[in-house]
Amino acid sequence: MKRNHPDDLTREPLVYRLRAFVCKPANLLLVFFLCVLVVLSLFPMVTMLSNMFTIHLGTEKKITRLPTGSWTLIHFQNLFKGNEWSRVNFWDPLRNSFIVAFGAGLLGIAIGGTVAWFVTRSDLKCKKFISSVFVFPYMMPAWTLALFWTNMFQNSRVGGGNIGMVESIFGICMPEWFVYGLFPMVVVIGLHYSPFAYLLIGGILKNMDATLEESATILKANRATIIRRVTIPIVMPAILSTFLLIFSSGFSSYTVPVFLGSAVKCYTLSTKMRALIQAGYQGQGYIIAFISILLGCIILGINQWFTGKRKSFTTVTGKSGQVSLVKLGRANWPITIVLIVFILFVAIMPLISFALESVIRQPGNYSLSNMTLHFWIGTEDSAYETGMIAGILLNTTMWNALGRQVLLALTVALIVGTSGMLIGYACVRRRGSKLARLVESLAFFPYLMPAMAFGTIYLAVATGDQFKFLYGTFGLLVIVASVKFLPFASRSGVNSMLQIAPEIEEAAIIFGVPWRKRMTRILFPIQKSSILSGYLLPVISVMREVALFTLLVPYARYLLTTMLFSFNETGYAQYGSAVTLLIILIIMLINAITNKLTGASFDKGIGG
Amino acid sequence: MPEIILENVTKKFEKFVAVDNLCLHIADRGFVTLLGPSGCGKTTTLRMIAGLETPTSGRILIDGKPVFDSKKGVNVPPNKRDIGFLFQNYALWPHMTVYENIAFGLEMLKWDKAKIRKRVDELLALLKIEQFEKRYPSELSGGQQQRVAIARTLAPSPKVLFMDEPLSNLDAKLRQEMRAELKRLHSDTNSTFVYVTHDQLEAMTLSTQVCLMNTGLLQQYAPPLTIYNAPANLFVAEFVGNPTMNFIPARVVSADSCVVTLDVLGKRAVFSAQAPVTGLSQEAVLGVRPEFLPLTDDGPIEGRVYSTLPTGMETTLRVACGGAMLTSVVFGSVDYPVDTPVRLSMTGSRLVLFDKASGKSVGVGSVEMA
Repeated sequence: MKRNHPDDLTREPLVYRLRAFVCKPANLLLVFFLCVLVVLSLFPMVTMLSNMFTIHLGTEKKITRLPTGSWTLIHFQNLFKGNEWSRVNFWDPLRNSFIVAFGAGLLGIAIGGTVAWFVTRSDLKCKKFISSVFVFPYMMPAWTLALFWTNMFQNSRVGGGNIGMVESIFGICMPEWFVYGLFPMVVVIGLHYSPFAYLLIGGILKNMDATLEESATILKANRATIIRRVTIPIVMPAILSTFLLIFSSGFSSYTVPVFLGSAVKCYTLSTKMRALIQAGYQGQGYIIAFISILLGCIILGINQWFTGKRKSFTTVTGKSGQVSLVKLGRANWPITIVLIVFILFVAIMPLISFALESVIRQPGNYSLSNMTLHFWIGTEDSAYETGMIAGILLNTTMWNALGRQVLLALTVALIVGTSGMLIGYACVRRRGSKLARLVESLAFFPYLMPAMAFGTIYLAVATGDQFKFLYGTFGLLVIVASVKFLPFASRSGVNSMLQIAPEIEEAAIIFGVPWRKRMTRILFPIQKSSILSGYLLPVISVMREVALFTLLVPYARYLLTTMLFSFNETGYAQYGSAVTLLIILIIMLINAITNKLTGASFDKGIGG
Repeated sequence: MPEIILENVTKKFEKFVAVDNLCLHIADRGFVTLLGPSGCGKTTTLRMIAGLETPTSGRILIDGKPVFDSKKGVNVPPNKRDIGFLFQNYALWPHMTVYENIAFGLEMLKWDKAKIRKRVDELLALLKIEQFEKRYPSELSGGQQQRVAIARTLAPSPKVLFMDEPLSNLDAKLRQEMRAELKRLHSDTNSTFVYVTHDQLEAMTLSTQVCLMNTGLLQQYAPPLTIYNAPANLFVAEFVGNPTMNFIPARVVSADSCVVTLDVLGKRAVFSAQAPVTGLSQEAVLGVRPEFLPLTDDGPIEGRVYSTLPTGMETTLRVACGGAMLTSVVFGSVDYPVDTPVRLSMTGSRLVLFDKASGKSVGVGSVEMA
């Protein structure tokens, strides 16, 4: 019962502490991932930062007469000076990005929130159908809606002069602002992310404790007061955080502005970033990338501050079964029909449009005589006569690109899925330690970087001297995609491991089960489905990614998605539509497999 | 069967000291409970003995063999310590049936199939869960899961059994039942049990020795009745016993070896200790268990009934005496109207005198009040 410290309280020697540290697999994993992540995400960042301040080869070297690599502030001066060049290349795109992000956020919330309210809080008909089809646009790549938009509304008076469906069927020529530029960007991005808002807001509305509203009823508040004073304040944090997430996605969106802006020279920061870098203004491009990253960090910070502060609002209890649904009465069927028509238009119509566009010879002419399967199954010979390339199903370039993309997707999935799970395991086991915190935030770091900026960073690395051998290789794409898609995998790894009480593993440790066996016989089987989806999600992400790869592929037709964009740039709209349809089908197939294997589904838990 | 010795064991998490320089000797075949409020370091202590947590410094011996020694770099992994561990949430593997859960540890010991079958059957019978053999944990009630967890822990016949609040997830009735079963199991299996709980009643009824801890420090290590009757300090006295002991402020008038004259509740009282009193300053606290403060017609302490809490077998009375609020327990069911004037007296020879400043017990004895 000695209570005094012996004065010579000798701590164990360093060697023993080191030995104790090393014999825990979680520690070894953390050290391993720390090294890997520092090299793969911090180092490129530093490289990019230094590139912002150095002279590059080419024109600027000639103008400044300084040796390559010497220190300079010229990029900053150029970009921010306030003259015409800087307005066109920085201030206008910056303003456009803000408008698009802000508008898309508002629109996404408005549409998603409305649908969410109808599905969770009213006696709307056909809830199941609406709920499952409405999430379609979110699953599809963002650019599909953009492509669909141009397919529909392009006309003889604007842009390239191709005739779209609306003009060809109804003879209506939409004005240019409607077809290209900021307005359609807002609409398309807003529509794309509205299912996301629907899922988040709907989740809260559905799980909100009914007693919160009931107690207001008992205190004699009427329906409108309850919505204003109780429901909305409770959902508000979710709405704001959804808005911020859509805002940051919209801000960094690359594909949509390419489709809807290039024709009228309407640039956002992401499209400008690429244009600048390709035109030899690397320094300025990297500065824009850095600004995007900074903005991503700020938005995430605001979001965390916000949700952290008000977390207690989303208190969810299990007793929400008796929510009294609002009776829509006679308005029920009309509202249902309007919603269904709307959803069919944004979710099903694009597929039909792509199928149609890919079989017509002369754009804008939808008569049977103008239809051909050439773009799908035309041979090289017949292609030569018409001045085109072979149909995509008989085209070796296409198959090679598809093969590479699938191989890339599988490789990345294997790396990301495994790493995510191991990081999750290690961070949860050593939760609270500085090392675990560091690894967890390093793994999450790439999330803050817009894909385009991330690709830019790696371009900076691969064009540097030490890593030249990486430039234009498949390996570089694997590395970039693995790091970029790691955040979600490690988050879900952490979450799934948090669900397993540590005792589950300790009970096995006491029986002397070795680490490998504990993982394969106890931890994996318990979290089978979430681990499996950790492997499958990166597949979908890689299959639809463009912005990340566009600067890094050795040539445009290297991957299917980058090839699609080159079709668009060179005017082969039919091939573009065909390839898009193909990509959507592949993604839907993967999603179906995921559902079958894991039982996880996008809209689970909200539908009626 | 082994004894367990802890020497100067300290555990720090970053700067926070969870267990501070703990020395403990757990006798062979003992049933020791680590008792204390949450966050006092009792679970950490148990996990360190089991090898699930590495102490920052100190030495731990099981059966005379060091399993941890910070100075020599010894750290035997849990599976080599020959122990069993029963977790609070049972930690049954949800993807294995009851049979597989129990058999898993034996498979790891490379037993042959027939032998495993025999041992599992034995345990299923011992814990009366034969009919659940093929079920999964989620298909069992809390009490049944508890039995499966015990069976799994006992399967490899560990020499020492560690239990971390194993009954806290059960309802009151089942807990009562399992307590009896655990005590029986202790004598049947002939092993050393180390048991963590925050429930003082559980500690009192089950154990041969209670180790009471607070904020990482050992408060008292003694048999349950010693803890109850002669608490080492105010913390122990307050933690053990329900209703809580009365702490009456007292001023020391004079002290002479075994006899201390006190000023209590405005009256003169003479405290006669069983042994000479040392370490007492001017201010003291007189600790009186509610059962030593009965209602008597001619008691020296006057008060009014504040509230009455009858349970059927006994009645707890809260009595306001001047500025102090005293608790008394009387046998049987009596219901006093609020504000009834009553008189109390101090009886028995197990009243405890504490020094107010140090909080330490300075003597146990009886009180004569004028």
